[in-house]
Formats: sequence, C-alpha cells, structure tokens
Amino acid sequence: MKWLLFAWKNVLRNRRRALLALLIIAVGTAAGLIGGGFALFTYESLAEMTARDTGHVVVGHSAYFDDDEELPMQNGLSGAGKLTEKFAEMPGVRAVVPRLQFSGLISNGDKSTIFVGTGVDPESEFRLRGPQMTFVSGEVLSSPSPSVPEVVIGHELAKLMKAKPGSSLTLLATTTEGNLNAVDVTVKGIISVGVPDIDKRLVLTALPAAQKLLLTDKVSTLSLYIKDIDQTDTLLAQVKAAEPQLAAKTWLDLAVFYQSVKELYNRIFGILGAIMVVIILFAMINTLGMAVVERTREIGTLRAIGSQPGEIVRNFVLEGLVIGFGGALLGMIMALATTVFLMFANLQMPPPPGRSTGYALLVNYSTPLYLGATLAVLLVSGVAAWLVSAKAARKPITEALAHV
Amino acid sequence: MNTTISTSERVRLTGIRKRYSTGDTAVDALRGVSLNVAAGELVALTGPSGSGKSTLLNICGLIDHQDEGERFLAGIAINGMAEKQLTDLRREKVGFVFQNFNLVPVMNVHDNVEYPLLLLGVSAAERRERVQQALMRVGIEPYASRLPDALSGGQRQRVAIARALIKVPHLVIADEPTANLDSVTAAQIVDLLRQLASEQGSAVVVATHDHRMADHCDRVVQLVDGEMQ
Ligand SMILES: Nc1ncnc2c1ncn2[C@@H]1O[C@H](COP(=O)(O)OP(=O)(O)OP(=O)(O)O)[C@@H](O)[C@H]1O
Ligand SMILES: [Mg+2]
Repeated sequence: MKWLLFAWKNVLRNRRRALLALLIIAVGTAAGLIGGGFALFTYESLAEMTARDTGHVVVGHSAYFDDDEELPMQNGLSGAGKLTEKFAEMPGVRAVVPRLQFSGLISNGDKSTIFVGTGVDPESEFRLRGPQMTFVSGEVLSSPSPSVPEVVIGHELAKLMKAKPGSSLTLLATTTEGNLNAVDVTVKGIISVGVPDIDKRLVLTALPAAQKLLLTDKVSTLSLYIKDIDQTDTLLAQVKAAEPQLAAKTWLDLAVFYQSVKELYNRIFGILGAIMVVIILFAMINTLGMAVVERTREIGTLRAIGSQPGEIVRNFVLEGLVIGFGGALLGMIMALATTVFLMFANLQMPPPPGRSTGYALLVNYSTPLYLGATLAVLLVSGVAAWLVSAKAARKPITEALAHV
Repeated sequence: MNTTISTSERVRLTGIRKRYSTGDTAVDALRGVSLNVAAGELVALTGPSGSGKSTLLNICGLIDHQDEGERFLAGIAINGMAEKQLTDLRREKVGFVFQNFNLVPVMNVHDNVEYPLLLLGVSAAERRERVQQALMRVGIEPYASRLPDALSGGQRQRVAIARALIKVPHLVIADEPTANLDSVTAAQIVDLLRQLASEQGSAVVVATHDHRMADHCDRVVQLVDGEMQ
C-alpha cells in the first residue's frame, strides 16, 4: 500500500507526461475493445443468421452430407413424417422443417436458365427465415398448395425471366428415375436474400410440388430449430443417440461463410490488437524511460541506503501499472460510451463482399473481452516499466549518484 | 528499543588502493590508505579537490570497490561479498548524508525519514514512534508533512541526518554535507551529526573542504594525492 501510494505520487510528479501516456493507452484500449466488440457482434449476428438459414441441427440420410448423388434424391430421407414427430418432441425444439433441394432449368418460353430450388413447408419456412427474405413484390406461398403450383423466386432471376407476380414459368428437372419432367408454375412472390449469386438462381416451391416434379416422397433434410443457439450441441447429441443410422450436422458445420468471416476478422482484429500492444508498449517505454533517466540520482540514493535493485524495479513497475490501469479504465469507459451510442445511433455498415444488403453497426459488450484487455494493458505496462528500469537499477551506485 | 550499539571498532580499512582508468590515462585515486574508526567517533577527511576523499568514502560506505586492500565493517570482512549482501549490509548498518541532501522529492519529511525503516520491515507502530523521535531530535518535527522543496537547505540536511540515523547505523558516511550551506548552518549541522552519532554510538566519516569543520571533529585525516599525511 505504501509503495502503491509512492508510485502514485511519482506518477503525479510529471502530470502532463503521465496524462499523455494514459490517453494513448486509453485510446488504444478503446480501439481494441470497440474492434473486438464489433467482431463479437458480427460473429453473433452471423451465427444467428446462419442458424436461421440452415436450422440449428440438420438431419439427413447417412450419405447425404458426404457423397455425391448419381440420381436426384438417391440420398434422400424417407419417413420424414414420423421423424418430424419424433424430433418435435425433443426438449427445446421449436420447429422441424423439411426441405427438398433440387435443381434444373427454369423457362419463360423464350429463354431458360439454371435454377437452384428448395421444396419447403410454406408455413414454417417463411416464419423462420422471414427476417432474411425481403419481398420485392408479391407474397408468400399459399398453404395448402393450389392445383397449379406456386413459386417464390429471387429478384435477379425474376429480372432474367422478365417475371412478375402472376407470371407463368416452367420448371424442368431430372426425376429420381433419371427422366426429365416438367411442371408449369405461377410466380407468387419475388424476394431478395441479399446475396446476388443466390438471388440469381433461387426458387422456392411447396414441398408436395417439388416431390411431384421429382417423382419422390422423400425429403433432402429435416432442419431442427431451437430457441437457444448454445443448446445446439446438446440437441445434436440427442439426435445422434435417437437416430444413429442418420447423419446430423450443426449449423456451424455447414456455415462456411460464418467460419471464413470469423477467421478473417480474428486475423484483422488480432493484428489490430498487436498494433495496440506495440503502441502502448512504446508510450510506456517513452514515459517511464524519461522518468528513470531523470531520477537516476534518486535511484542511486535509494540503492545506497539499502534498496535492492529489484525493489527499485518494483517501484517503477507499480508506476507503470498505475498509469496502465488508469488508461485501461478510461479506455473501457470510452468503449462503453461508444457501445451505448451505437445502440441508439442506428448506423449501417455497407454490404460485406458478395452481399447486397448492409447490416447494423453495433458493438457487443463482453466481460471476458474487457477483463482480457485490462490484463493485457497491465502486462504491457509492467513489462515496459521493467524494461526501462532494470538496467538503471543495476547501474553502479557511484555513477548513479554522480548523475545530474 | 535499543538505540545504542556495542563493540567499539566500526570501520577498518587497510592498504586501500583505487585506480581509475579512462581511455589511456589512469588516475591513482587512492594509494594504500588505512583507516580505523571507532564507535561514536567523528572523523573528518580533508584535503584538496581530487585528493580521493569521495573515493575513500564510497569504498568505506560499501557503494564502491577498491582494487587492493581489505575492508571490515563492524568486524565483518567485506571482501568477496556479492552485491546483494553489500546492499543488505548497507540497509542495516550504513547511513548516508549527501552534499545535495538527496531527499525523495515526492515524499514528505516524515516519509523520507521513515523510508529506511520500511526497507528493514519495521512494524508500523514502531516506525511511527521512531520517526517522531528522530524528527524531534533533529528539530524538524513541525515540518513533518512538508515536502523537501518547501524547506531551507539546513532543514533539508536535518531531514537527511534523521534519515541516516534512524536505523541506528554502525557507520554514517557524509560527503561534503555542509558544502551547500552557509557557515552558521554548516556548524550547526556538524554539531548535530556529532552529537547524535556519539549518543547512539555510530561512527561518522565526513569529507569536507572546510578546515573550520575540523574543530568540531574528534580526528582529522588529511588526504593528498590519494595518500594519508
Ligand atoms: N569515476 C571516475 N572516473 C575517473 N576518475 C575519477 C572518477 N572518480 C574520481 N576520479 C578521479 O579520482 C581522483 C579522486 O577523486 P575524488 O572524487 O575521490 O576526489 P575528492 O577528494 O572527493 O575531490 P573533491 O574535493 O573535488 O570532491 C580525482 O583525480 C578524480 O578525477
Ligand atoms: Mg568529493
């Protein structure tokens, strides 16, 4: 306590210099916390988004995720109805959604192009994935399906097909037996999911219509949705235990985009963090280095009257910790203020690469992040203090005393 | 609380030699100096500038090393000791008074005087009592909470004397303690040093240019060109 007070008084000895170092540390800490908080927010919202897209746990035929099919639906899932009932009973499961993935050609009579289709349960599909689909025009698929099947298509595809709600198009696909089959459909809605590559190919239709086109009663996958994303692994274990002959994956296994973004951000913010560490280190070395030089005679005096070099170094380390802690504290306040400001400011980020819609600019608060940053700042400050004082504390005493 | 120390010989230096080599010139600062100081004795080192007074004091006070010769402090052979042991010895047994006072500027008078006791791990209650006593004995207890900057030179040197004597050292080293003081204050300071040292039995070695100081000392040792006269 005495020594901490002594350190505090020494810090105040040159207020302007200490304040400058403290501000540099504060800004560095705030930048690190805001950057890190933004990355955490991005991970969290991307995780939510991805899970909403795929479902938290996706169940398929044992070969579905790994093998290529020679014929459509060869690795499809039969008995979906029974399985759905069974999964729906599992704790925390809020929806079980069937999907049938298929592809083929879509035509408006004049020209045709490739589509990537999904047969869905209209009611649950649009409820669960609603926030990610923006309707450009038209509306959701009707339920139950009318006699002429309906489709919802991506807006880029609609442009290509010159289609509007009410337009007639033809879907052409290979059946499970390897023949070509065609069905006439009516456009019910036109949507954007924010990814141009998907909006150029996307076709959604009711599951029975897709099954009829492919001549199958199977589905590709069942997607299980839960409320709490953190329960994903628990659910996965339950599913695997209940249906060991099936394959099951989590949203994370399927989230290629999420993982690559996370990897990229980790790298970017890791480098940012390293730069902050270096800046803080230099600020501290500069500030404390000057203090050490100025106080060389004092160091000699204290050594003469019996302080060990380690005790001298400890005093400077305490001074570094005082400045570092002050800076970290101020930095945390700045970062928190920014976090709160962004919550109300409603700012938008531009669309990330490969997307056409932006997203909210928000920063997460995270106790481990704040604690970690504080510890890092203290560590860097302590190391800087040690670096600049260790040599001076071991200088010959007569030399130190003769210093002017 | 034991404020006096026994066994009469404090310092014994025999055949001390010290040579400074800078570049291709070498200076023999001490050429075989021997000196014994008894408990409670105040010895003045005089001599012209460059005669080796400070060099001898530094060696005597364990903050520098001789090239040849032997050192004993309170009967302990110093030769061959590691730096850490020397520091421990100084902490316990040696007090310093400097020409420029060398008080810690951010510490008030009380804390400056208390510092050596902190190093020795003396309990808070005992520290409080001893600091108060020491301040009283040097006559500066009204200024206990002042910073050194707010004191006159004479007052500062009194604080430094309190700091040097508070641990009841075997030896006090004072290099030109009065050089920055007017002659009246200087005489007071030397008297104070002498009185307190003899009261508690500390040996004191003072380097000084001032021949008048000699009158206040038990013994005067004259150095010329690194040799005792
Ligand atoms: N660090 C050093 N490096 C080189 N030479 C030194 C060093 N310290 C002292 N000397 C030399 O040693 C000799 C003795 O110096 P010392 O400081 O002991 O003299 P002094 O009697 O204390 O002088 P003063 O009265 O001026 O303080 C001088 O010639 C000085 O130049
Ligand atoms: Mg000298």
